[in-house]
Amino acid sequence: MSTPAATPPKQRLIFAMGGGGFTMEPSNPLLDDFVLSLAAAHAHLPATDAADAHLSATDAANAPLAGASTANPTRASARTREPRILFLPTASGDTTAQIAAFHARFADRHCVAEHLSLFRLHELRRPLAEIILSQDVLYVGGGSMRNLLAIWRAHDLDRLLISAWRQGIVLAGISAGAMCWFAGGITRSSGQPQPLAGLGLLEGSLTVHADGEPERLPVWLAAVRDGVLPGGWSLDDGVGLLFAGTRLQRIVSSRPGASAQRVDQVAGELVRNRLVPELLGATGPAAALPSMDEDVQELRRVQRLRRTTSSPRGGRLGGY
Amino acid sequence: MRPSRRAPRRTPQIVALGGGGFSMEKDSSLLDDYILSLTSSARPRVCFLPTASGDADHYVVRFYRRFSAHCDASHVSLFRRDQGVGGVEDDLATHLLAQDLIYVGGGNVVSMLGAWRAHGLDSVLRRAWRRGIVLCGPSAGSLCWFAESLSAFHGAPRRVRGLGLLPYSNCVHYDAEPARRAEYHRFVAAGMRAGFAAEDGVALHFRGTLLERAVSSRRGGRAYRVEPACDSVVEVPLDITHLGSDPNLALVDGVDPASGSSETLAPGSATPGPFARLPIGAVA
Repeated sequence: MSTPAATPPKQRLIFAMGGGGFTMEPSNPLLDDFVLSLAAAHAHLPATDAADAHLSATDAANAPLAGASTANPTRASARTREPRILFLPTASGDTTAQIAAFHARFADRHCVAEHLSLFRLHELRRPLAEIILSQDVLYVGGGSMRNLLAIWRAHDLDRLLISAWRQGIVLAGISAGAMCWFAGGITRSSGQPQPLAGLGLLEGSLTVHADGEPERLPVWLAAVRDGVLPGGWSLDDGVGLLFAGTRLQRIVSSRPGASAQRVDQVAGELVRNRLVPELLGATGPAAALPSMDEDVQELRRVQRLRRTTSSPRGGRLGGY
Repeated sequence: MRPSRRAPRRTPQIVALGGGGFSMEKDSSLLDDYILSLTSSARPRVCFLPTASGDADHYVVRFYRRFSAHCDASHVSLFRRDQGVGGVEDDLATHLLAQDLIYVGGGNVVSMLGAWRAHGLDSVLRRAWRRGIVLCGPSAGSLCWFAESLSAFHGAPRRVRGLGLLPYSNCVHYDAEPARRAEYHRFVAAGMRAGFAAEDGVALHFRGTLLERAVSSRRGGRAYRVEPACDSVVEVPLDITHLGSDPNLALVDGVDPASGSSETLAPGSATPGPFARLPIGAVA
C-alpha cells in the first residue's frame, strides 16, 4: 500500500474473545455489536450512525477511543461511509457454515460486511493488500490455530495483518482468531491441547474456552509455570479483552457469570488473579440474556464423550 | 526411516492429473480406476487429503462415494484434528504410511503446502512415496509433487515451490485457461525448470522420477513436455493412452494380488509407447 500512515500505538485496537460471537452465540449479538462499535470509533462515524449500528447509548459513551483522534488523514473520508468489516474464516478451512453465520449476523447491521476466503482466492479480483488495508475491522474466526498461522504465512498475510494493525485497523477474533495475536496460546490443532506461538503483537499468552473446554486450562497453567509460555489470560466463553496498543483496556462479557483470570509465574509459582468483566448490554435484566448456544453445548458434550472412547470417529461439526 | 517389513520394496509412483478424477468427472471413473490399478491390492487402502479445499465437506463426501465400495477409504482433515475425524486421532504418520494410495484433492496449493508443513505432512508424504505408496491428485494435488509449479489460483500467476519429489515443473488445467499456456512458457523461458503440462482429463504417471505414460479419460486429451530453448521454449506433445479405448486398462478387479509386484500389474505395460521412457530423467 502506498500510504501506510502509522497510527499512534495507543490507538491500535485488538479485541480477543475466549468464545462467543456469531459462530457460537447466534442468538446473542452483544460481542459482535461491541466489535462493530470499535469499528465505528475507528472510522470516526457520527454518533447517530453509531446508534444505527445497534450500539447501546452506554457502550457508545464508554467506547474509549470514540473521537479520540481526528488526526488520521487517511481516515478522514470515513465520516461519510459505513464501517467495513472483513471476516477471515481461515482457521476453519473457510467453512460455509462460518461464512453464512457471519453474514447472517452482520447483513442487517450498519456496516459493509465481507469475507476473505484464502481457499477461494480465485474468486477475488483485487490484490490481497488492497482488500485488507481498506477495512475498519478484521474479524478472525475460530478453528485450527496451527493451520491459521501456517496458511497466513504461506500467503504473506501475517505481515499484511501487522501492517493493518499499525495503520489502526481493528483486529478482532475468537478462539484461534484471538490467540493468534498473542505471544502464544493453547491449541487443539493436533488433537491434544498444546502450546503454540502466535504472531506476538501482544505480550503474554492467551487460552480460550476456559469454561467450555476445561482440558486446555491445565496445559496452559503448566506451560506458564514451566516458562514455555509467558504469563497471560484465560478467558471463558463470551469474555473479550480489548487492548489499546499492548495495554489491556477493558474486559467485557456477553454472559453473566463468565469470567477471566490473569496468571503469572513468579519464582516458579503461579499467581492467579480472577478478573470480573463488565457485562455488555447490562441495561436489561441479566437473566434475560441467552446462554451459550445449545448446539455448542451439545457439540462439546459429544466431543468429551468421544475423547473418552478409544476409537473416535467424527462427523461434520463446526470448528471452534 | 525403517524399511517396510510388510511388503517387498515397491517402486515409488505418482499420478499427476491436469484435472479430472472424481473431483471433476462425475460420469467417468477411468482415471481413478487407472490409479487404483497401480496399487498391488484387490481392496486398496485409500486415504484422501482434502487440505487444499479447506477440508470441504462436499469434497470429502464425493471421495467416499467414489471409493468406499471398492476400497478401505479414509480421509485426513487437518482442520478437524481435535474431533478425530476419519478414524485418525493422533498419529497421522502411522495412518498415512499404512495406505496403498494417498489421493490429494484440488484447491489452493499455497494454503495446502503451508498447512502440510505445519503438521509435518511434507516429510510423511516423502516417506510414503519412497515406500511405494501411490500418490496422486488433480490440480493442487498434482502441482505439489513437483519441484516447482505455476499456480494461477489468484491474480498474477506465481511460482510455487512444491515437495520436489519430481524434479520438474508442472502446469495443470492447460486447456481450461488459455492464459496458462503463455504464462507457463514465459516462466520456463525465464528460468523455471523444464516440466510437464497436462490438460483436464489427462494424467501423468511417474515411476520413480521417470514418466511411465500419460493417460486420458477423454479423447483428444493432451499433455506436453515443456523445455527451455534459447530464449524460448519447446513444447513436445506426449503420446497419450486413451483409457476408454482399452477396457483392460480400467480393470481393478482383474488384478492378481498374489503376484506381488506392481511391475507386472502396470496396466497396458505390454504396449509401451515411445513416450514411456522419454529421456526426462536426465533433466535437472
